[in-house]
Amino acid sequence: MISLQRVSKTYPKGVNALEDVSIEIDKGEFVFLVGPSGSGKSTSLRLLLKEEEPTAGDVYVAGKNLQRLSSWSGVPKLRRNIGTVFQDFKLLQDKTVFENVAFALEVIGKPKHVIDTRVPEILEYVGLGEKLNNYPDELSGGEQQRVSIARACVNRPLVLLADEPTGNLDPNTSVDIMRLLDKVNKIGTTVLMATHDQAIVDAMRKRVIQLEGGRLVRDQSRGVYA
Amino acid sequence: MRLEYYFRETASGLRRNGVVAFAAISTAFIALFLFGLALLIGKQLDIVIEDITRNVEVTIYLTDPVNPDTVAHLQTKLQDLSAVESAEFETKEEAYQRFVELFREQQTLVENTDPETIPASLRVKLTDTAQYEQVAAAMGCAPDEDTGLIVCTEPGVRQVRDYSALLERLNTIKGVLRYGMLFVAIVMLVSAVLLVANTLRMGMFARRKEIGIMRLVGATNWRIRAPFLIEGLVESLIGAIFAVIFLFGLKVIAIDRLRGEVAFLPLVRNSDVMTIAPWILLAATVIAVIAGTVGMRRFLDV
Repeated sequence: MISLQRVSKTYPKGVNALEDVSIEIDKGEFVFLVGPSGSGKSTSLRLLLKEEEPTAGDVYVAGKNLQRLSSWSGVPKLRRNIGTVFQDFKLLQDKTVFENVAFALEVIGKPKHVIDTRVPEILEYVGLGEKLNNYPDELSGGEQQRVSIARACVNRPLVLLADEPTGNLDPNTSVDIMRLLDKVNKIGTTVLMATHDQAIVDAMRKRVIQLEGGRLVRDQSRGVYA
Repeated sequence: MRLEYYFRETASGLRRNGVVAFAAISTAFIALFLFGLALLIGKQLDIVIEDITRNVEVTIYLTDPVNPDTVAHLQTKLQDLSAVESAEFETKEEAYQRFVELFREQQTLVENTDPETIPASLRVKLTDTAQYEQVAAAMGCAPDEDTGLIVCTEPGVRQVRDYSALLERLNTIKGVLRYGMLFVAIVMLVSAVLLVANTLRMGMFARRKEIGIMRLVGATNWRIRAPFLIEGLVESLIGAIFAVIFLFGLKVIAIDRLRGEVAFLPLVRNSDVMTIAPWILLAATVIAVIAGTVGMRRFLDV
């Protein structure tokens, strides 16, 4: 599903964000990407979204070489297959929970009847069936993250990329969010989660890929943080 | 659904950017108004020139004393010209009568004019007024190399008075007015482009979070840009509509009032304003397209 083949990324100022990294992730896997700040986690995620181009090597998502995708049609199609969740939720404050999730379908041209069935469905699934008409600032951090997961999943992506999704949440809420991500993974979505959260990684016992200074230093199934 | 989406996005963009959008609309309006005015002035002068060339005849003044044989010879010669319809002889007496009639309001002028100084003439009517130069050419008239005055070689001919001098002057006025206006209009059009581009940029900046999310969930470039492009188009088209309205207003208030005062002068009509309206709308569209290209360059590439 995801494949990085001898990928390097050097930024113009000469910083080596990634050096000769190869990673294979199969369909339906749940993978933690760990490592200290600046180890290349975020760069890896950005490469998968084609927000950046590798300096060397090839990146494949769902069998497609990202280098060959055109920006006018290929890249949008790629991103429709990838859901993204961030530490800061990235919700629109002037839209309700329903509208925030609907926005993701609206801007890719889905018809209204699809939006009206899928949005309540996914919000029910993440446990926010009662809060459709609330605004983000009326929700707790955990609830806001659930909205952003709902938005990431509403178009039924093949892959879910999560960048520190529990970074702003307390431990109990983090556990709830991890349960939800696990649930999303169980229905067949490949999940790749970059994190610092040692407790969570140790508790979940999933595959762990560790980066350090842009190099892959560990790839362990049913691993722990360190 | 899709149309509704674009309408909603455009309307909210215009609302959010109120003041800046207003500045863009008014600049577009002034630019397009001046552009239209330049076209209208050109049109007006075309009408005047056409009218002059249609109504005015060419007059050939003859030397004293008038020899009937020479007159007959000249008339035959003129009849042979393709542009000439008729060439009628006017005696000195008839010419003086006409002079008295023309200046009856200014008795002193009439009293002080010796009938002898009014020359006899041939009044030439043309079939093709655009070919008026044939007459002067046939009479062998050309500017003298030393003095610059028109000198005619044909015997018995003193002077040919056609409208070449008047036409030349009108064309000069037309050129100055038209190109002057167009120059100002172009400067204004460039400012309109920059201001519209600026509102688009401010709109995109205000909505950078939304745009970021749109890109992440896989909205196409076109889908992201269209609301801004439409916003720019709406702004310049509103400016264009006001420009057309104001041109009509100018025509009704200034020109129609003039119509009573100077009855002899043909003036632009409503239909002339109508024919320049599409050009104004076209210019507005060009403003929007250029502003869109300038405003969104290197801003939104996925």
